[in-house]
Amino acid sequence: MSTDSKTKATLLLLTVVFTFMAAGFLASPSARPTLQFNPLVDTNVLDTATVRRSYADLVRADEDLSDFDCYACHEKDKPPPLRFDENHKLIIPKEHVNIVMEHGRHDRNNNCYNCHNEQNLERFQSRDGRELKFADSTALCGSCHGPTYRDWEAGVHGRTSGYWNRSLGEYDRKKCVHCHDPHSPKFPGRKPAPGPHPLRGAEPEVAHVETKH
Amino acid sequence: MSASKTPPAANGVNRRSFLRTSAVLTTGLAALAASLKPLMEMQDFPTAEQFMQKYYKEMTPDDMAKVLKRIENEVEQQYGLRPHVRDYKPMDGVEFVYCLNLTRCIGCRKCVHACAAENNLSRNPEIQYIRVLKMPHGSLDMEKAEHHYDPPQVPEKDFFYMPVQCQQCKNPPCVKVCPVHATWQETDGITVIDYDWCIGCRYCEAACPYFARRFNWAKPQIPKERLNPEMSYLGNRPRRQGVMEKCHFCIQRTRQGKYPACLEVCPAGARKFGNILDPESEVSCILRTKRVFIQLKEEVGTSPRFFYYFDV
Repeated sequence: MSTDSKTKATLLLLTVVFTFMAAGFLASPSARPTLQFNPLVDTNVLDTATVRRSYADLVRADEDLSDFDCYACHEKDKPPPLRFDENHKLIIPKEHVNIVMEHGRHDRNNNCYNCHNEQNLERFQSRDGRELKFADSTALCGSCHGPTYRDWEAGVHGRTSGYWNRSLGEYDRKKCVHCHDPHSPKFPGRKPAPGPHPLRGAEPEVAHVETKH
Repeated sequence: MSASKTPPAANGVNRRSFLRTSAVLTTGLAALAASLKPLMEMQDFPTAEQFMQKYYKEMTPDDMAKVLKRIENEVEQQYGLRPHVRDYKPMDGVEFVYCLNLTRCIGCRKCVHACAAENNLSRNPEIQYIRVLKMPHGSLDMEKAEHHYDPPQVPEKDFFYMPVQCQQCKNPPCVKVCPVHATWQETDGITVIDYDWCIGCRYCEAACPYFARRFNWAKPQIPKERLNPEMSYLGNRPRRQGVMEKCHFCIQRTRQGKYPACLEVCPAGARKFGNILDPESEVSCILRTKRVFIQLKEEVGTSPRFFYYFDV
């Protein structure tokens, strides 16, 4: 076979291959591989609500406050006695089973009257002897947690939302109890929002409609 | 009959050469058509108006008003929703700084998705400005970092989480490499991109030590009902295919005095933002009183405006 005819044969072969490829590309949308699309991220993860709601929030939302109405069950001027087991662990009465006592290490803070006022159950008592309303719980927390309270006042600890520029709008500084359960203050964990995935949202047919225009 | 006996036509074209030429021509045209196919598929060819648009810094307020109108029309045409597009300018006496508390971050990734919703990030292909790195306690080794974690509950024991986004450097390498000046640092410290000026060369993506810049490989797709209509020119207006984008500290929020979206959604209060030139601001207080341990990759000399700190 001469070089000339070899060249011709190669050219012919290439022509055929390219023609088929061109035809393939022109008929493309159906020839493309289908891709796996993940569903859109649930809008619940965009929620800016705090982990908990404070007493003041419940009052504002006009919700059931029976939990805070101590003298519906307790008697006035008769402090309820506290009972402890043999390990000096507080026994939670069955009326308050929803309370988990995990405030402070080594069960050292297992006395209700460290914060609640035994003479008036609808008030708190702070370490420095002040009597505080339920809505003023932040001052109560601050009476023990000095450095954190100082940080919170400066906006360094906790959540602040709204306007960083205080001359342009309001800001909202969340209270301790918006994030911490006073009886079990460790910040709760949660399921993480979905991680990165390259294809998310649009259905494959939507993607096709978009590319045909 | 041999070829030598074929009488040559007057103009030098005989049956054989005609067939050969037409075969080559047909194949050539078919190949050309196939190679042009991607161009035919291309959407959003720039309009004359867009093509003739001036450089951002040379635009008069009148020019800008026209451009904003054009963008509003385009978005309305595409999404069936009239947006509110503005060009917010930096405020005097303001330099933004971001502080992130590594003791508090629980790695829940809410910031990632709040950012996508606020800034009209493409969902498909997915683009995200924030990456949350999971790293073992006691190390700050990026080699050990992972961002695909998906346990039933975060935070996991013995790990901490470190969200990384644009660090808004004082000495930004991405700005230096841009051949067309489509990205620059504003007076309030935000490094911005003019999406209408970007040529998509991706030099800035290569220059950034933090992988903060993202390229629109395909036309961004955002479901209509998830479009945020509050837009800004240098911020969250929808991007075209083939341009770069990145975190801009939610320019459309922060230049109106609001906190950025990632901060608003953080359940743990780990994110802090404000004006470093104001001694009373939260970020000033943090830099004064807290154990601010790093600017990420301090040694490369970018001097980020994004600080990581610890509580204790």
